[in-house]
Amino acid sequence: MHIPDAFIPIWQGAIYWIIALVFVYLSLRWAKNELNEEKLPLVAVLAAGIFALQSFNLPVSMGTSGHLVGGALVAIILGSPFAAVFILTLVLIVQGIMFGDGGITTMGANILNMGVVGGFVGFYSFKGLKAATGSMPVSAFIAAWLACLIPALCASVELWLAGTFPLQAGMIAMGLYHAIIGVVEGVITVAAIYLIVSVRPDMVDKGVMPAKVGAVA
Amino acid sequence: MIDNKTLIVGGLIIAILVGVVAVFMASSDPDGLESTALIIQGGKTLTGPTPPDAEIVENMEGKFAYSAPMPDYSLGEGMGSMGGILAIIGGTVLAFLVVIGLVYALKIAGKKNPPNGVQ
Repeated sequence: MHIPDAFIPIWQGAIYWIIALVFVYLSLRWAKNELNEEKLPLVAVLAAGIFALQSFNLPVSMGTSGHLVGGALVAIILGSPFAAVFILTLVLIVQGIMFGDGGITTMGANILNMGVVGGFVGFYSFKGLKAATGSMPVSAFIAAWLACLIPALCASVELWLAGTFPLQAGMIAMGLYHAIIGVVEGVITVAAIYLIVSVRPDMVDKGVMPAKVGAVA
Repeated sequence: MIDNKTLIVGGLIIAILVGVVAVFMASSDPDGLESTALIIQGGKTLTGPTPPDAEIVENMEGKFAYSAPMPDYSLGEGMGSMGGILAIIGGTVLAFLVVIGLVYALKIAGKKNPPNGVQ
């Protein structure tokens, strides 16, 4: 769902850039204060992994493909929506500048959708669902699904405001395709969490762990 | 538990493997956003296949145009899949290095200007 330069007028792109920069600033503050050198290897590996995953377009049927976003995974593993903003912003900068995936004037909108909306939706829906159900996999799956679908719907609203997509047709198509991609996003997110928890439990946010482990420790 | 070196090496290997497999296995169908654009421009239907000649019309009037050095994760037709693999590996390693570099820059800047202003 990387919006290219052609799809949004420059002045609207500038507005999304300004909003995105506020969150980027906050994410830099998060990185400065919360990221210690012990966690840095995991954060850097996550950025590399998300770059690679986003280059993998999976078939969705209906003549469409889609790739994972990864915002929920990062926010859940590192325990902050700003972790997603931080990593997704850097990945989007590399994609946009080096590979032309996503525009330059629209990079703010892409950061806003996948980093900010994806990160916040992923993190807080995981937190809420985990408190309600107590199940990490169920909560992470639904959170990742939502963190794929809702940014896509945000993109369709932005493209409607830009005059590129009609509202209803855009929402239906974007919603349908990303509801399907979101299922894969959910499965991969849960699998990646299990993998990371098993190899480096010390680097993972405590919110991911089963409640009883937290109580014992 | 694995140590940091294994985490970094193992993590980068997994990421690069995913990217390399993507060069050969990734779907060539347009992604969700491009598909939606095709539907709106009449190039495809919501649930139908994408015709091989379908092309998105881009109205560049008053828009910013930028040419990336490695568009579409490739180094051009002549390089074929080898170019794709090199582009993906380059991007994956670059994403890794950018994070490390930025975090170190933030930490160095933070040490020069302590938040409480006490030196």
